[in-house]
Amino acid sequence: MTTRALIAGRLFHTIVTLFLVLSMMWALFRLVPGDPLVIFLGQGELAPEQLNQLRAAWGLDQPLWVQYIHYLRNFVTADLGTSFFFRRPVLEVLAEPLANTLILMLPAVLIAIGAGIAFGSRLGWKRGSKSEAVWNLVILVPRAIPVFWLAIILLVVFSYQLGWFPIGGMKTMAFIPHTWWEALPGYDLLRHLALPLLVAVLTFISDPLLIMRTSMIDVADEDFVTFARARGLPDKKVRRLAQRNALMPVITYSAIMVGFAFGGQLLLEVVFSWPGMGRLMVNAVYHRDYPVAQAAFFLMAAVVIVLNFLVDMLYLYLDPRVSYE
Amino acid sequence: MSDAAIVPVAPPTAVRRTGLKFALSLVLGSPGGLCGVIILSLFVIVAVLGPLLTFGDHMEIHYLADKSVARLLTPGQHAPLGTDYYGRDIYTQLILGTRTALIVSIISTAFMAIVGTNIGLFAAYYGGRIDTLLMRITDLAFAVPFLPFAVILVVLLKPSLWNIIITISCLMWRTTARVIRAQALSVKQRTYVRAARVAGASDLRIIFVHIFPNILPLSLLYVAFGISWAVLSEASLSFLGFGDPNTASWGQMLYNAYISGSIRSAWWWTVPPGLCLTLFVIAVFLVGRELETYINPRLR
Repeated sequence: MTTRALIAGRLFHTIVTLFLVLSMMWALFRLVPGDPLVIFLGQGELAPEQLNQLRAAWGLDQPLWVQYIHYLRNFVTADLGTSFFFRRPVLEVLAEPLANTLILMLPAVLIAIGAGIAFGSRLGWKRGSKSEAVWNLVILVPRAIPVFWLAIILLVVFSYQLGWFPIGGMKTMAFIPHTWWEALPGYDLLRHLALPLLVAVLTFISDPLLIMRTSMIDVADEDFVTFARARGLPDKKVRRLAQRNALMPVITYSAIMVGFAFGGQLLLEVVFSWPGMGRLMVNAVYHRDYPVAQAAFFLMAAVVIVLNFLVDMLYLYLDPRVSYE
Repeated sequence: MSDAAIVPVAPPTAVRRTGLKFALSLVLGSPGGLCGVIILSLFVIVAVLGPLLTFGDHMEIHYLADKSVARLLTPGQHAPLGTDYYGRDIYTQLILGTRTALIVSIISTAFMAIVGTNIGLFAAYYGGRIDTLLMRITDLAFAVPFLPFAVILVVLLKPSLWNIIITISCLMWRTTARVIRAQALSVKQRTYVRAARVAGASDLRIIFVHIFPNILPLSLLYVAFGISWAVLSEASLSFLGFGDPNTASWGQMLYNAYISGSIRSAWWWTVPPGLCLTLFVIAVFLVGRELETYINPRLR
């Protein structure tokens, strides 16, 4: 199979998956019992004749398949409808939370990947030693602690008890700096960012760490490592050499993690009242604001799907031995 | 010394390095695995005994002598682990929450194992179009962000314990399916599978009698990880307020503590459920890790 055919095939597959997610979502929201108009307007707001008029105007009297076509067409033309709750176009409603989520999650993912690689490569290198056994237990802990509980505990200790950090949100209302460093731009945001960032890094770090560790263990057996040792290179240099060759699986995974970042962390954002995508989605579901919930959900899924495609392409470029099927 | 040459060599003692017994000895023989098994057994005992260990219903509101609600009492004052903001006994909620955690995790993990293993087996065995179709479905499941999907589905179906189980099961099979398929693809190529085919065994017989036993340990490993994943998912959904309001659950306790604004002061309300969750998941990981060394001896 030529590379071009391969890329075309993956692209086609990606588009089909996107389409299927869209359709699944439509079917899912169509499961909601009750009249969409009543959900939108509230019970008993309008007389039956007016309801019928609106139903015709919005195409809700059409057969289901016509509605489905409409729905697809609207999504493709980026017309995501109007938020039931905010009464504003969905795209407008999504823009700010998306930016807020990225402010928190992108640094978190990048730090987690960097630290995960550094730590995982050392841990994999130390295979079989006593300290490795201890560390193996330690890295279980951030994987096992429920995110929201960790967030609550840190919030109680560092914000409520010690008062070092604000108790949530992104900025202090009418913030007045008292010292010169408090007047620095971004100071207030960083203070709000600190705790959620810490929790996010802790939750994200274990995957790249473990992948790097396994990959290091695999690479450590390879001939070039033995050869480097035989040449008398210091251990540190040998590790660097091995590390570079062990990076591939982590890089692949990193792209997927960036995908998760767009979705934000529902739990984290709720505990720290961070006005991001995750919280927006949870609130939209609470308020039965289906257009917003739908769009937010689709955005989260779409980013993961598209990034998966890009990772495949990256793989093709980085490792020409890879061939699909 | 020439005598030594004619001493018959003792037949090599047959060390069976497979089988359930060996897996069990691996798990119980390591300090971590043993710890995990003990902690899990305790949780199971508590879950089974459940109501026998509590003082009444978890929804029961306790009152003080002056008829006021016994709000936020510290441990030992009136109840062993104190009361919550609504005057309910925390100890009782914690005990009954164990049962919920186990029910949710066992049922959804069983579903995950059955669906995921079968999809993986059939995709690998038949290959071709069936493989493509099943794996495309799996890819689709992988594209769906778990918690947002779960939140939407639970709300659409109305929050209840069963709907939470259904929701969690809906996506959890995806990893199992992929892993089992990869493993079954290699088992399929082995000689005894070919021999069975030549001997005229039916497809189903080959899949379940010849291939399945060889991927069973791997399937069990994913059961172990699935259990921890399911427990955390249930807790997360409940913490977001989409849990079954009538069931005691650890996530629900934390949700109530959070929305009533009690996390600031009532440590006896927030610490126990979180600690139980963490302990449970760590115990599952510890057991799972030893099972992993059984499947992949390189890790030993």
